[in-house]
Amino acid sequence: MIDYQKFVLDNGLQVLVHEDHTTKMAVLNILYKVGSRNEIPGKTGLAHFFEHLMFGSSKNVPVFDTPLEKVGGSCNAFTNTDITNYYITLPAINIETAFWLESDRMLQLNLSEKTIETQRKVVLEEFKQRYLNQPYGDVFHHLKGLAYDTHPYQWPTIGKNLEDIIGFTAADVADFYYTHYRPDNATMVVAGDVTLEQVKNLVEKWFGDIPKGILPKKGILQELPQKVKKTLTIEADVPTDALYKVYHMPARLHDGYLEADLITDILGFGRSSTLEQRLVKNGKVFASVGGYVLGSVDPGLLVFSGKMEKGQSAEEAEKELDDVIEDFKNNPIQKSILTKVKNQAEAMKTYESIELLNRAMSLAYYAHLGNPEHYQTEYEKKTRIKPEEILSWANKILKEENSSVLYYKSRA
Amino acid sequence: MTLNRSLAPEFKIPEDISLPKPTKRTLKNGVPLFFIPTTAVDAVKLEINTDTQSMVGDLEKKLVAYFTLHLTLEGTKTKNSEVLDDFFDTYASEVDVISNFEHNGLSLLTTTKHFAKVLPVFRSLFTEAIFPEKELVKRKSQKSLSITIQREKNSVQASQLFRNQLFDQGHSYGQIVTEEDVDAIVREDLLAFYKDSLWINPEIFVTGNLNETALDLIAQTFESLPVTFKEIESPVFSNKAKARIYENREKSLQSSLRIGCHLIPKNHPDYFALYVFNTFLGGYFGSRLIKNIREEKGHTYGIYSSIGSLKDADYWVVMADVQKQFLEEVIGEIYKELDLLQSELISDQELEVVRNYMIGNFLSNFSSAFDLIDRFKSIHQAGLDFGFFQRQLDFIRSFNPEEIRAVGKKYLKKENMVEVIVG
Repeated sequence: MIDYQKFVLDNGLQVLVHEDHTTKMAVLNILYKVGSRNEIPGKTGLAHFFEHLMFGSSKNVPVFDTPLEKVGGSCNAFTNTDITNYYITLPAINIETAFWLESDRMLQLNLSEKTIETQRKVVLEEFKQRYLNQPYGDVFHHLKGLAYDTHPYQWPTIGKNLEDIIGFTAADVADFYYTHYRPDNATMVVAGDVTLEQVKNLVEKWFGDIPKGILPKKGILQELPQKVKKTLTIEADVPTDALYKVYHMPARLHDGYLEADLITDILGFGRSSTLEQRLVKNGKVFASVGGYVLGSVDPGLLVFSGKMEKGQSAEEAEKELDDVIEDFKNNPIQKSILTKVKNQAEAMKTYESIELLNRAMSLAYYAHLGNPEHYQTEYEKKTRIKPEEILSWANKILKEENSSVLYYKSRA
Repeated sequence: MTLNRSLAPEFKIPEDISLPKPTKRTLKNGVPLFFIPTTAVDAVKLEINTDTQSMVGDLEKKLVAYFTLHLTLEGTKTKNSEVLDDFFDTYASEVDVISNFEHNGLSLLTTTKHFAKVLPVFRSLFTEAIFPEKELVKRKSQKSLSITIQREKNSVQASQLFRNQLFDQGHSYGQIVTEEDVDAIVREDLLAFYKDSLWINPEIFVTGNLNETALDLIAQTFESLPVTFKEIESPVFSNKAKARIYENREKSLQSSLRIGCHLIPKNHPDYFALYVFNTFLGGYFGSRLIKNIREEKGHTYGIYSSIGSLKDADYWVVMADVQKQFLEEVIGEIYKELDLLQSELISDQELEVVRNYMIGNFLSNFSSAFDLIDRFKSIHQAGLDFGFFQRQLDFIRSFNPEEIRAVGKKYLKKENMVEVIVG
């Protein structure tokens, strides 16, 4: 449980306060409810690109970082499919500087040509460095494109290709800002050595007069149920084959999401997981294997992935993986396994809460899902799920016609 | 009244920054145990580190410590590999292997709730491991593949070649590990190393929400560990002269760049000034290198300089992945920025930003109780006392531009730089 208090401004800005007086630091975290799911074909990567522009200048702040560094703070941000999250960490005595900076860039960001053009170059280099110039770096470009036909989850957050990033116009950027970067589309968390009263005053002072958004968000094309298995073979200059097999699964907060999460906990999390024990430790085809869910706001993917031992093929690996999945679907789950994953869920909450920043981000994330209480209720719900329910969902989700398989093959 | 947004809010420089020290006790076998309590966090981290320097010289068996430690998790006299895996996962505890240039060891991350249950099994890894052949074969094959994949990455290869050039293949810091080094390991190597060479000069570092009784339990658990204490001389390396190494990779879209040189050790009187010099140049997001090469020119996603910390062998390095066609321009700009800081005084404005940033950063680094033990460990293992941080903070509060300029000029000479380009 993370303690918090909550209030909402007239312009729709949602604010959560988490007091922790054991530290002299404070965190101001702002989550904007926009990610790559809000993009359209031809303009992919815009949400992440925009994140870079937020560190340019605003009307009263020529360079975002400098005034923050001057008061002993630092900042960063990330973008994913669903959200863009900005955070500032600084000595709590200087918390007002964080309000000044965040409010100025929410109210009046300068979208100068110089900033746009330089950050375009920087993001193109980021794209190359992280996705094109790494072994297996473009796996998710292929995999998401294969699994999704209509939903924007079909491209990674960095963007589908370099061309889309080259093509952003000043109008695209301005439109994006006025649609998504408004107080009623944001959740703020202030955490650390602050008080509710202090935060109330500062939020009212710096954010009270920022107008609500008026541009409507575009609708998001939802994916239709998949009817047949999809496969894709890619050859690349990598030392060994890799296999990715994914299944469509329920959206976060929907029935079946937590069961899917438990399926991958049991099959693919940790050294004792079924996949690790059967395929890696006692098998000859897999060098490594894992299972996890992409827990997204719209229906996501349940992922199994692995790298093959040198000379072993991804196709052979799929057969071995399928055997384990079939066995899982057709046999009861031992009680000891459930105890294990529940212990892990409990411990994970302890580990996650060590850092103040993590606590602030968790609150913001669950508040954006609809209610910060979800942080606790989701965990409680997860630990109450019965083995039959997990298996019932396994049989619904883990079906061939619901799967997409990427054979990422070594050209050698 | 309308808000005047053009006015930055007033700010203060944090005054009292407390730097808590760990408590120390010595086990019956002579092993020191350092502890920092974290009352608010119900997690426990326990780490046992030994001295890797004892291994320098065994060129044929570079990976013996790595495999010995990893194989401790693959079966003991009473629990086979699967049972061990299941045990630690059931109690949501992570055992990690520490195997780097300077230290070998095992660490345990667990919760206060499961601590007492997990501790004896963790302890059994230290003396009860059986090193099964089947598991060794698998771990070797995995390691071999991982080496192959890592080498494909320009940044990894560049860092390896850089260290290799700086310290040479004959020194552990300079060695590049290959698939052949994996092949050279046999089970007997691990048995021998485990028996005689692993637990040399060990130290225990603990943090968590633990009371005296729990600490007594740790002490009792590890006081029976057979250990060896011996003086180990720091290895000697040759200070290589300027060189440029270029590994061309036709298909690469970017070049990974490393430029750097040897540096004075942390106990040298000029160290703090160099540390500050590095911050101005490339040690934070507002640095000269970031401003010029990323924010002005857009030639890279990131460029940083840092001080690499190895015992008695600190070094300085600039790192970036840059557009191929701008490689020479970027190298030129790096030297230009280095030269500027060595010849012109930093403005008051920039000085204030960096000073305050560093103080804030300091406060931040010491505000998470769970991280404190790592801060202590790093400085303790370098052979320094915890007063290091107070002296460093005092320096940050008081340095002047003249000493920063002078120290850069004295130690970061262009003619000593090693340049490595991969891509």
